[in-house]
Amino acid sequence: MTGKIPATLDVAGLRKQFSVGRPAIDGVSFAVPPGEIVVLLGPSGCGKTTTLRCVAGLEYPTEGTISIAGRIVSSPAQGILVPPRLRDLGMVFQSYAVWPHMTVRQNVVYPLKHRKTGRAEALRKVDEVLALVGLSEYAERPVVALSGGQMQRVALARSIVYRPQLLLLDEPLSNLDAKLRLRLRDDLRRILKQTGMTALYVTHDQAEAVVIGDRIGVMRDGKLLQMGSPDEIYNRPADLFVANFTGATNELTGTLVERNGAFGVVDLGNGQRAEAALIHALGPGEKVRIALRPENIAIGKHDGSNSFHARILDRRYQGTQTIYDIDLFGRRLEVLELGTAARHEVGVDAPVSLPRTICWAYRDEGPLTNQ
Amino acid sequence: MRLNFLSVAWVALLLAILAFLVVYPVLMLLLGALTDTNPVVDGFGVFRLSVENFTTVLTNPNVGEALANTLIACGGGTVVAVVIGLAFSWIVVRTNTPCKRFLAAASILPLFAPPLVAGVAWVILGSPKTGLINTLFKWVNLDWRVDFYTLGGLVFVFGIYYAPYVYMFTASALRNMDPSLEEAAEVSGASAFATLFSVTFPLIMPAIISGTLLSFIVMLGIYGIPAVLGAPTNINVLTTYIFKLTNWSPPLYNTAAAVAIILMVVTGLLVYLQQKVLTGRSYTTVAGKAFRPRSVDLGPWRWPVLGLAVLYLCIVVVLPLLALIVAAFRKFMFIRDAASLVDLRQYSMVHFDSIFDNPLTLRSIYNAVEVGLITALTGGILAFAIGYTIYRTRAPGRRTIDLLSTLPVAIPGLVIGVAYLWAWIGLPGGLYGTIWILALAFIARFMPDTVKALSTSFLQIHRELEEAAWLCGKGMLGTIRTIMLPLASPGVIAAMTLLFVLSIRELGSSLFLYTSNTMVMSVLLLDYYEGGNIGKTAAFSLVQTVLLGVLIGFANWLSRGASQASVGRTG
Ligand SMILES: Nc1ncnc2c1ncn2[C@@H]1O[C@H](COP(=O)(O)OP(=O)(O)OP(=O)(O)O)[C@@H](O)[C@H]1O
Ligand SMILES: [Mg+2]
Repeated sequence: MTGKIPATLDVAGLRKQFSVGRPAIDGVSFAVPPGEIVVLLGPSGCGKTTTLRCVAGLEYPTEGTISIAGRIVSSPAQGILVPPRLRDLGMVFQSYAVWPHMTVRQNVVYPLKHRKTGRAEALRKVDEVLALVGLSEYAERPVVALSGGQMQRVALARSIVYRPQLLLLDEPLSNLDAKLRLRLRDDLRRILKQTGMTALYVTHDQAEAVVIGDRIGVMRDGKLLQMGSPDEIYNRPADLFVANFTGATNELTGTLVERNGAFGVVDLGNGQRAEAALIHALGPGEKVRIALRPENIAIGKHDGSNSFHARILDRRYQGTQTIYDIDLFGRRLEVLELGTAARHEVGVDAPVSLPRTICWAYRDEGPLTNQ
Repeated sequence: MRLNFLSVAWVALLLAILAFLVVYPVLMLLLGALTDTNPVVDGFGVFRLSVENFTTVLTNPNVGEALANTLIACGGGTVVAVVIGLAFSWIVVRTNTPCKRFLAAASILPLFAPPLVAGVAWVILGSPKTGLINTLFKWVNLDWRVDFYTLGGLVFVFGIYYAPYVYMFTASALRNMDPSLEEAAEVSGASAFATLFSVTFPLIMPAIISGTLLSFIVMLGIYGIPAVLGAPTNINVLTTYIFKLTNWSPPLYNTAAAVAIILMVVTGLLVYLQQKVLTGRSYTTVAGKAFRPRSVDLGPWRWPVLGLAVLYLCIVVVLPLLALIVAAFRKFMFIRDAASLVDLRQYSMVHFDSIFDNPLTLRSIYNAVEVGLITALTGGILAFAIGYTIYRTRAPGRRTIDLLSTLPVAIPGLVIGVAYLWAWIGLPGGLYGTIWILALAFIARFMPDTVKALSTSFLQIHRELEEAAWLCGKGMLGTIRTIMLPLASPGVIAAMTLLFVLSIRELGSSLFLYTSNTMVMSVLLLDYYEGGNIGKTAAFSLVQTVLLGVLIGFANWLSRGASQASVGRTG
């Protein structure tokens, strides 16, 4: 498919205050370069959908500017508010929102009808996009006679048939069953990359975010906490919440005793010390929390500076992986080991090592309240 | 069921009552339409069967004209009702018009206005010579004149009073519709207008169609409005024509029965069609899902839109009420200019004095209340028994009971009146001429509404509560008495109050069944109107309106708003 040049999306200082409660979005800024897929990730109620709807023009922001391809489409301060239909964007809704009184073809051709496209060209575009999403045989079916996954693809086809400069997707896979979700998320990325569109994608599923996104923005309580490549989000989370939300669920508390460059020595109590990567700028004497991914702890190895002895408390065999609960000087940690063999027995003492690059130390601001 | 004999006997009893209330009168009506015997003159039981009545009726140009008028008035009225109802539901559900709650609550008020009273009010407002609207036009030197004694007047009054039926259906369909369906259209590039016509309206089409059919059905059966607006210029619709037939001397009961049968068949077909549309697939309702309400920002337009909505409410509620008040308290209806409109010396209680000097007035109020009480108590108990049997037992034959008790949905009130007339007038020493024939006709007529109103309160009571009582050793009757009645009693009382209100308003069936001893309010009101004194008519209309207002307020308070929908099809 050929078409317009994908556009940049710029969001600066976006704020949305509903008539009740705290702001749903509170000062969110980010940019999506042309052709890139950015995923907004966060727990339920953090303001992802609201951000997306503000970009679409379905919700009116309280503050901040949104520009698409360099044109300001929303800026309360300047009194600019372009209606959705003039923003030239496509949107896939969480509920698909395919029109049940129309066939697949009628659904997909609808946007073209409102854009002065010639009949022959419209026909060609519809056929092309239906082939792209793999629904060519279903063109004349009423959409109510489709499965959930097929409806989702109709919704996608409808939103890309006119090659909008920007595509918005709101949890497009969340209503599908787990297996289909896995398959469609690969398809979805392939289709998006094939069309080369700029896309903003919302989800609360971290695995989905990693597969689909070129970059991921993690949100919480209306704030954007970190925006980076999946690799950055997973290997250098900017704060404890991001670490925890993306799966670093183990925590150790302690006090920083000395720092050397990017690393520091943390006193974990009982005279135990460990080395950790300092993500925040911390000074000696400060209380810290260390986040650890269960996959990064190695049982049975004894190398590097952070090597300890731990007792295996519990073992949960899950077929392709095994989860252990271990007791590391009085703290309970979770360890995940891949493979179909469960190698360690409950009750034994085993060496464990926590490489210092995966012990992320943050300033201790109390335990996370939600999540 | 352990006591099988008892349950069979119970079902048989209910079926017998329903046969007596519904089946027998309808069969007699059919018989009447198929004979040329006059039940009053020839006595009961001498019948010569023929289809002659139908052939004469169908070839009679007067019937043809009445039918044409009916179709124009009801068809036109329905179009007006659909436009108003649809616009109103869109404004209330889908826009950010201010005071939406108030608009939503006020929009169903017209449903409570008795058709006869509404008709009288519009006579006062819109009669060609003395109408208040024309007086007003004259006063501001406008060269416009309105005449409501026309088919156009009927269309207008029908349309504004029955718009709430369309509104009720479409508003709930709009509320249940996933708003992202509309947002998707908007994002796709469609303007708000295009979205409305290509997505919103097609999606709620089942609701639009069934609201349309319902308002048409109700208009078909209305007597009061065409009776007062059509009388001066002799415009007949089917209902008024049927009544005329029975009022000629000698009364043409057979012809009336034949026309009534035609009206019933048409209504029945439309009701069937409406039920089909309602049970057919609806795109919009997703069980139990709550959608975030979406409202279109009208910007500065929201004030004119609010103005339009308020204007409608003024036209349909405030203006007629003011007209009634002016006419009721003014000594003479002739109003020379605006100054005389506010001249307090022109006002007095003389019309009230004169209607209450007439012994018939108090008698009719007393009768109406008595009929209302009998109807409410007997009908309420019967509906409870029927509802319980249908919804809470596995008794054999409960489907037949269900069917028979909903049958009156398809019978306009006027037709019930004619049917009861045929059923009892020829029987010497029978019910005819007593209060009871009115009460029985009302019970039959409002049975579907009462059972439906009660069924919601039955369905809210968990079956397990009853089963728990059975397990504790209570018998069936004991369970009903100790569990069902106390839990359902708010619903039962609300249903009875509703029945009371409905029977006090009822005119169509009373017309054929009253005698001078059993004159009821609504019939006397029509009498006053036909007597030609608009002041007394207005005064008595106000009395009825106030009485109904108090009762409806009470019912509403009892059921917290649940009774609104039940005024439903009765008009
Ligand atoms: N129309 C509204 N009126 C009032 N509050 C709202 C409205 N829409 C959203 N909110 C609030 O704004 C916050 C963010 O909502 P939003 O729908 O953006 O969350 P989300 O991140 O998409 O969550 P989810 O993953 O559950 O979809 C929530 O606290 C919600 O209650
Ligand atoms: Mg959401």
